Amino acid sequence: MMRAPVNGPPDPTFCPECGAPAPFRGTTVTLICEYCGSTIVRTGVDLRLVGKVSAILDNGSPLLLGARGNFRGDPFEILGRLQVSYGRGTWNEWFLGFRDGTIGWLAEALGQYAVLRPRDPSTVAGVATHRAFTVGASLTLDGTALVVVDTRVAQYRGAEGQLPFVAEPGLSFYSADLRGAGGEYVTLDWGNDGNHNRPVPYFGRSATLSQLGMHPLRRFAGWPMPQPPAAGGARP
Amino acid sequence: MTASSQTVVAAPQRPFRDEAQVETIACPSCGGPITRGAFGTVEKIVCPYCGSELSPSDSGALALLLEVRRQQRPSALPLHARGTLDGATWEVVGIVWREVTADGTTFPWQEFLLYNPYLGYRFLLFFVYDRHWAIGRPLDGAPEIGMFFSRKVAKFGGKRYRHFQTSLARVTYVEGEFPWQIRAGDQAVAHDYVAPPFGLSVEETHDENGADIAYTAMEHLEGDAVWKAFARSGRPPNPVGVGPLRPNRWKQGAGVTWVSCALLLVLWVAISIGYTASRDAVVVFEGRSAITEPLTQEIDLGPAGDVTAVSVEFSAQPLSNAWAYADVLLVPHDRDEAIGVGVEADEWHGVDGGESWTEGSSHNTVTIGGVPTGSYTLQITPQAGEGTSTTPPVGLTYAVVIRRDVVLARYIVLPLLVIILVPLLLWSFGLMVEAQRWKNSDYAPSS
Repeated sequence: MMRAPVNGPPDPTFCPECGAPAPFRGTTVTLICEYCGSTIVRTGVDLRLVGKVSAILDNGSPLLLGARGNFRGDPFEILGRLQVSYGRGTWNEWFLGFRDGTIGWLAEALGQYAVLRPRDPSTVAGVATHRAFTVGASLTLDGTALVVVDTRVAQYRGAEGQLPFVAEPGLSFYSADLRGAGGEYVTLDWGNDGNHNRPVPYFGRSATLSQLGMHPLRRFAGWPMPQPPAAGGARP
Repeated sequence: MTASSQTVVAAPQRPFRDEAQVETIACPSCGGPITRGAFGTVEKIVCPYCGSELSPSDSGALALLLEVRRQQRPSALPLHARGTLDGATWEVVGIVWREVTADGTTFPWQEFLLYNPYLGYRFLLFFVYDRHWAIGRPLDGAPEIGMFFSRKVAKFGGKRYRHFQTSLARVTYVEGEFPWQIRAGDQAVAHDYVAPPFGLSVEETHDENGADIAYTAMEHLEGDAVWKAFARSGRPPNPVGVGPLRPNRWKQGAGVTWVSCALLLVLWVAISIGYTASRDAVVVFEGRSAITEPLTQEIDLGPAGDVTAVSVEFSAQPLSNAWAYADVLLVPHDRDEAIGVGVEADEWHGVDGGESWTEGSSHNTVTIGGVPTGSYTLQITPQAGEGTSTTPPVGLTYAVVIRRDVVLARYIVLPLLVIILVPLLLWSFGLMVEAQRWKNSDYAPSS
């Protein structure tokens, strides 16, 4: 079934729990109702209620759902947030819809940010299982020399807005982060099962919030807000 | 949002749209006030007063993880101090004391976790053992680790960092808020690479959920800069020694020094050639006589009003275990001060322990610089002796040749020494500083 691109108008769907508008957009699969907090999963034309999950943890992010920015000139909007946690902490994966209809992720951990966009899995076909990855190892993916800097199994912690997959409590996410000498940033995503060698690769770069021209940002008591980007800078 | 729904619904929840507030809570263990300056980024809070550990639970409330009874210790900067570095404001939200032990000596330092909600984290390090400071920023990428002339190096951003040391650092004291798990007693292996005033630190962490490598770009900071950034009163602690990252001031501008040295050498060669070519070394006197006879003559050292260099060449023969000496006096016609110079020739030989030897020279030249030009009366008074006596040997003759406008060697050699000496001194001072720096590394000459 063809759907409008992720940046298109929302579908006229409603929350099965509270009846409020549930504005699924494009290919998004999961929506957290912003009125009642229910998680709604869309399969085909059906809407399934997963139930209410615990609210996402306030982990101090300056980013906000609905904020806009641009990555190397491509404007995007934050459509959703997946919050995951593991032994060393909690971090955010912000789901981005670009103006050209493509999607991406803004990874946020320890106050560092990277924008990543999916590549065809064939570019890294047969690379290895999640278990075979060790930090410090060097490898070349799609012509880029990289070092494995992080391998982890993270637990679903919460979500807000929309996500392009079924996001349910109890899920585990298998992934590895790689970085290059030129600031390249690659994440390999094995999904909920690390025992295969067909991870989805995401390629991108680290960036600061001001480089991304993020606006609006959350306000923090006692801290001046950074200057909003100049007009035309981050307008999609 | 369209109003197409017929159902009456609650207002949309818009989390985090309100300003995040700084909370102060009472430590559940000691009751001390804990200010939560890092908002929700925190995974671990260590009460500054008693050391008890708290962690946010799933509900967001703080749970007491571990009750501790320790005293608060004073650090170089206090918790919640704010300062301006890299053009932004930062707050000290956490303090960690760490140390390494090498050859039985403990090297402690203090790490200040700096936080800005829009920029993330930085690390300010104070090395207690030599009172140097450094700032750490997350590295934007991964360095290439490799070898360079059998030395381990890290390359990043066109810069080569030499491996300085690999050490096991222990956490000895913690207070404040941290976005990761931390506890006194934690140990981590850190690899430090340096290219003063910059450095790279590589630290690996493993746990049951995975592993990660953190790369931190380090930069030396002067204590004065830290004191100014955090508006501290008084003076920062005086640093000692070189430290891994302090810039070597003898190496700063070394390139400029060597280039100017090369330019000066070219200039020196050109001037020396010009100077030598302009000297015509005109013979103004040439005389020969028996050693008992003085010589006198009027000589001309050129048109008055200038200065020239004059050489006096003296020889005597035949000399055999004898010496000859000439007292050469230039008496100017237009002034009172005469110029006097002594010049000597000698020859000694003998047999000592079965080996024959000779020494001395029957031919010597003395050069006098800065002689005013004009007319002079030359008076040469010879003397000679055989062995220890002052009786001149029979048949000894001497010869004197006097030239004006000769090349004065010191005009050529002295500038050369100055030109070469300056960079050589800077270079050797630089080497001494580097030797001191590397004395504390894994590559120290074994003591």
